[in-house]
Amino acid sequence: MSNRILLVEDDLALGQQVVDTLSQAGFDPHWVQDGDAARGLNPDDYRVIVLDLMLPGTYGMDLLKRYRTKSEVPVLILSARDDTADKIRGLKLGADDYVTKPFFPEELVARIQACLRRPNLVGTVRLVVGAIQIDLERREVTTSDGTLSLTPVEFEILALLARRKGSAVTRDALVDAALDTAHDRSRRTLDVHISRLRGKLRSDAAQLETVWGIGYRLSEGS
Amino acid sequence: MKLRARLALTLGLATISLLVLLGWAQSRWQSQLRVDALAEAAVHRMESGGRERCEANPERWPGPQGDRGARRHPGPSRHRFPRHRVFAYDADFQSRNPDNPVFPPELAQQLAAGRDIASHRAPSERRTQVAVRMPWGEGPCAVVLMRAKGPPHWFSGAVLMPAFLVALVVILVALFAAGPIVRRVRQLTESVRKLGSNSEEPIRVEGHDEIAELGTAFEQSRQTIHAQLASLREREAALRNYIANTTHDVMLPLSVLQGHLVSLQQRIEAGETLDAQAIVPSIEESQYLGSLLHNLNAAARLEASEGLAHKDPIDLNRLVERVVDRHRPIAKRKQIALEVGVPERMIEFPGDLTLLEQALGNIVQNAVRYNEADGHVAVVLDGTRNAWTLRVVDDGPGIAESDRGRVLEPSFRGTEARTRHPHGMGLGLHIASDVAKRHGLRLTLGDTDGGGLTVELRFAQRDT
Repeated sequence: MSNRILLVEDDLALGQQVVDTLSQAGFDPHWVQDGDAARGLNPDDYRVIVLDLMLPGTYGMDLLKRYRTKSEVPVLILSARDDTADKIRGLKLGADDYVTKPFFPEELVARIQACLRRPNLVGTVRLVVGAIQIDLERREVTTSDGTLSLTPVEFEILALLARRKGSAVTRDALVDAALDTAHDRSRRTLDVHISRLRGKLRSDAAQLETVWGIGYRLSEGS
Repeated sequence: MKLRARLALTLGLATISLLVLLGWAQSRWQSQLRVDALAEAAVHRMESGGRERCEANPERWPGPQGDRGARRHPGPSRHRFPRHRVFAYDADFQSRNPDNPVFPPELAQQLAAGRDIASHRAPSERRTQVAVRMPWGEGPCAVVLMRAKGPPHWFSGAVLMPAFLVALVVILVALFAAGPIVRRVRQLTESVRKLGSNSEEPIRVEGHDEIAELGTAFEQSRQTIHAQLASLREREAALRNYIANTTHDVMLPLSVLQGHLVSLQQRIEAGETLDAQAIVPSIEESQYLGSLLHNLNAAARLEASEGLAHKDPIDLNRLVERVVDRHRPIAKRKQIALEVGVPERMIEFPGDLTLLEQALGNIVQNAVRYNEADGHVAVVLDGTRNAWTLRVVDDGPGIAESDRGRVLEPSFRGTEARTRHPHGMGLGLHIASDVAKRHGLRLTLGDTDGGGLTVELRFAQRDT
């Protein structure tokens, strides 16, 4: 079940295209073409459900309601309609996201990955991003070069970036979270701290990326 | 049955019922008066010497008698006694006079029950019988029976005939009086019939009564129906116009797309080796087609209403990520770095999900579409739910300052916007501008440091 994805889509051409895309992206798609057949399936057998709304047999919204009564599995709606009421209803019924047709295959994969990415960081004390490991309780950072000695500001910057690994974090958010309000809170100061942090990360410095127009991102690295 | 006949018949029947009821009440009242008068006559007769004569010769008293009475009582009573016959009986209701009738058992029963005066009037009989127990209560003349004709029964012709005559008169009067009403109803009917033929003639019925009110109600309905019909016609025309424009707008990029595909086919047939970049214009054009249809849909919705049809809490972080994910494939193919930054805490904002997504999508699409390879586009959401900023920053060619005001005109006609820049930035930014305005957002265009365009959507909650 690790990468199993349920696709409920009645259109043969689109369904086949999505199956191919998901397979290429490393998922294991299970394609069902009508709502009635999808009713009997156990949603917990899948990591994500991709659900078309206009289906023969059971209407997609009814399927969603049915799945939500017994499972918390992420559900992504595929909607041909550009209709706000449908999307809102779907989200209220417990859908995690939606993709409006037409869509690029990569967009669907990105939305599925976003559904799978939502981590629960509540109570997390240890963050791991590639070679960088952060112990939030002991305020200790280890890289492939060993344990680092970071200033409190550098630690806060790295911890915030690690909590949101793979996502770009704005300079303003980093300034707010890490810099002392009583001292210099300018972006320039932040850039200086980042520069020092990169220096300390040495061989893992490439994981700390500058994101044009936004700020910085801590990626898993190569 | 016609209204006039129905009205006359109703009034006639009501009159008959009323008169019969009055006749019945009057008959009851007269019967009671007659009983009282007969009882008074009996007492008066016996007390004014009748008792002595009766007891002296009970076998013959009162002797041959015609109907007596019908004369004014000499005593205090003001009643005129009805013409009557009198008979005497002892306390056991037996008479010494063999010519007297047998004492009526109905009256005997009432007197035996302790009453001093008993009366009876059978429906079939046209007379009233009253028996009075005399104060002395003994002897051959202890009970006196009085018999008198009338009064007429309520069911008799004497009561019913006048009732029918009056009813007939009422019916005739009603038939005559209903004439003007019927004429006005016919006039109203004619006017209402004309509604079906789509006549513009207003419905008018003079007067201040219910028929006039009915006419006014019909007129109001006529006006409402006409307004709705006009609106429907207008919408139908708009729909036809929309379909015609959409067809025109879609045909253009579709032709371009077909041109790209044919060109690709010809190059492949010519043995040319194509790289992945060769297909990018076709993909871009297909994306533009989808976006154009969404925009036309959004434009139609914006034109159809002044405000927002939907207002739901929207997760802006998710919306921004979704829009960026949608444009990432085309950005990747164009070798443009498309980045997104959202705050850690979710920003919720009440609005129309589809319109906001379309608005942001248009801005991002423009930023990607008009940028060059190795260019950058960043979408940044910052702030809190009470004050947030959404910026789309690019290092593309930008928009000349002189053109910025025009593309952000607060209102627009879809057709005008489409025809002005059918293949350009016009419609997308117009929609974004209109959507922003309806959501209370401030949309500004500015320069990016180092060159390019920065489009900013800003929300700040007003202090109330």
